[in-house]
Amino acid sequence: MKKVLTAVLVICLIAMGAAGLAEKKDPVAEYGSDVLNVYNWGEYIDKQVITNFEKEYGVRVNYSLFSSNEEMYTKLLSGASYDVLVPSDYMIERLIREDKLQPLDKDVVTNLDVLTAGVQNMGYDPDNTYSAPYLWQTVGIVYDTTKIDPEAMEEQGFSAFLNPEYKGHVYMYDSERDGFMIALKALGYSANTTDEDELNAAFDWLREMDKAVSPSYVTDEVIDAMANGEKWMALVYSGDAAYILSENEDMGYCTPKEGTNIAVDAMVIPANASNPKLANVFINYILEYDNSLMISEEVGYASTNDQVLNDLSAEGGTYEGNAAYLPRAGYELDEYYNDIPESLRSLYSSMWIKVKLHE
Amino acid sequence: MKSFFRMSYPYLLWMAIFIVAPMVMILLYAFTRSGNSMLTFQFTLEHFANFFTDPTFMRVLWTSLRIAFLTTVFCILIGYPAALFIANLPERRQTMMVLLLTLPMWINMLLKTYAWRGILMNFDLESEIKVFIGMVYDFLPYMIIQIHTSIAKMDRELLTAAQDLGANRWKSFTKVTLPLSVPGIISGITLVFLPAVSSFVIPKLLGGGDYVLIGNLIEIYFLTAGDWNFGSAISLIMAVIIIVSMWATKKLDRSAQED
Repeated sequence: MKKVLTAVLVICLIAMGAAGLAEKKDPVAEYGSDVLNVYNWGEYIDKQVITNFEKEYGVRVNYSLFSSNEEMYTKLLSGASYDVLVPSDYMIERLIREDKLQPLDKDVVTNLDVLTAGVQNMGYDPDNTYSAPYLWQTVGIVYDTTKIDPEAMEEQGFSAFLNPEYKGHVYMYDSERDGFMIALKALGYSANTTDEDELNAAFDWLREMDKAVSPSYVTDEVIDAMANGEKWMALVYSGDAAYILSENEDMGYCTPKEGTNIAVDAMVIPANASNPKLANVFINYILEYDNSLMISEEVGYASTNDQVLNDLSAEGGTYEGNAAYLPRAGYELDEYYNDIPESLRSLYSSMWIKVKLHE
Repeated sequence: MKSFFRMSYPYLLWMAIFIVAPMVMILLYAFTRSGNSMLTFQFTLEHFANFFTDPTFMRVLWTSLRIAFLTTVFCILIGYPAALFIANLPERRQTMMVLLLTLPMWINMLLKTYAWRGILMNFDLESEIKVFIGMVYDFLPYMIIQIHTSIAKMDRELLTAAQDLGANRWKSFTKVTLPLSVPGIISGITLVFLPAVSSFVIPKLLGGGDYVLIGNLIEIYFLTAGDWNFGSAISLIMAVIIIVSMWATKKLDRSAQED
């Protein structure tokens, strides 16, 4: 009798469980809230991915945009609460150091094994305790192959920015970190140097650059301008370059021989997130093949999913033969950014202002 | 009387929280060294010394004052005839014209500036000229409306009297209309010069990376450099400039009224 009762109870439980599965999931019961606040870079996603996620999980995603890591950081400092952020490597280093992140739930984020070699074992977070890479890129030079010979470009690398023959035909990306990076790399120093003499040498290099090629200091408008072939060369992020190359077949991409910056933007969950459970689910969702493919295909930045990366750059892929899509991996002189020590940030800023104002 | 005073309490509280407290924080940041906690202040004047001894910052300050001045002058030069023209229209058409003038103000300034960016991209102009065009466009309505208000409320009989006394149209303009519209010009200056000297969206969007005004400098030090102390010091210098110019225009206003 007792056995029969137990069996009936077990069957009842199974039936209830099955009924629960068949029913539409209740996100509030499961995650505590059906709203997810995501804070990402502008023009950095395929909106369809968000819509699909909302449908599949019955939740609403508040998707807001920032245009620089520093903007995101200041917003976070002011007390704003988000569930998922997508900052770059050096900013994640700072957020971890300042205890502003919470660890990923590895029971939920199970897709970390899809990561490509180029974004594994990152210095800022070697075991992906806090972060799951989203997209990655190198900094390089887009140039008009009808104006500059590809061989000459590869030969010059970053020192092309000192070549007076290109005067008036150059775009420089208005970012102090990237500006200093090319100068430091051209001089053979580390992009993460804290040595003031090396920074001063880089400052002189940049001032010489400003005189030699009189660049226009631009930000995102460089993408359309180079797609229209308005100047001969420009410092760009490889993801933007991939778009430029697909729009204008005269354009080429050079990853300079002096070594460059490899940047990884990764998804993290801030310590003050109000819906961390759903945030973990979202992060795992983005890492999935289909979703990473849609995002990378749409924005042109390299996927962190190894298979997506291969499929998009292989024969028949959207970025087949596109020199800018696949980031150079494993080159000894390439570096990730470390967070600049606070004491040097003002120095960087004031030097960069002086370069731009031709002093 | 006493009960009226009591009604201002909420407003005073509002001012204390949203105006006085931030100003005190800017003051604190501006005069302290970075990297210390809120409890151990290290007072210093080095931010101000750094600002005033650096030729780059001085040039940025000078450029900001110059472009704000030029914008104001051009707004008066274009705005005055426009205001005069409107004030001489029949009453109903005046209302219509003022409405048309304020119409662009209903649109977000950022959108308008982006539109100008699209237009000016096709012309090979100096950054300063582009910023100048954007600023004059954006601030002109404020000037016109202020001047128009002061001309419109002028007693028309004064002009008839001037003409009866033998003044020609030019004379009656310089002796009657112009002096009576000075208060309008002065409040127009306040409404144009002050936002122009601290504007940062217009130079950022129209001027390109090598055109830096003091507003942009503050943004760079707060956001990119994360140096809130130096950023606060620049903001404070900015605030002093604004207070001084407000005092100067007030003074101008008073002496004009005494004449």
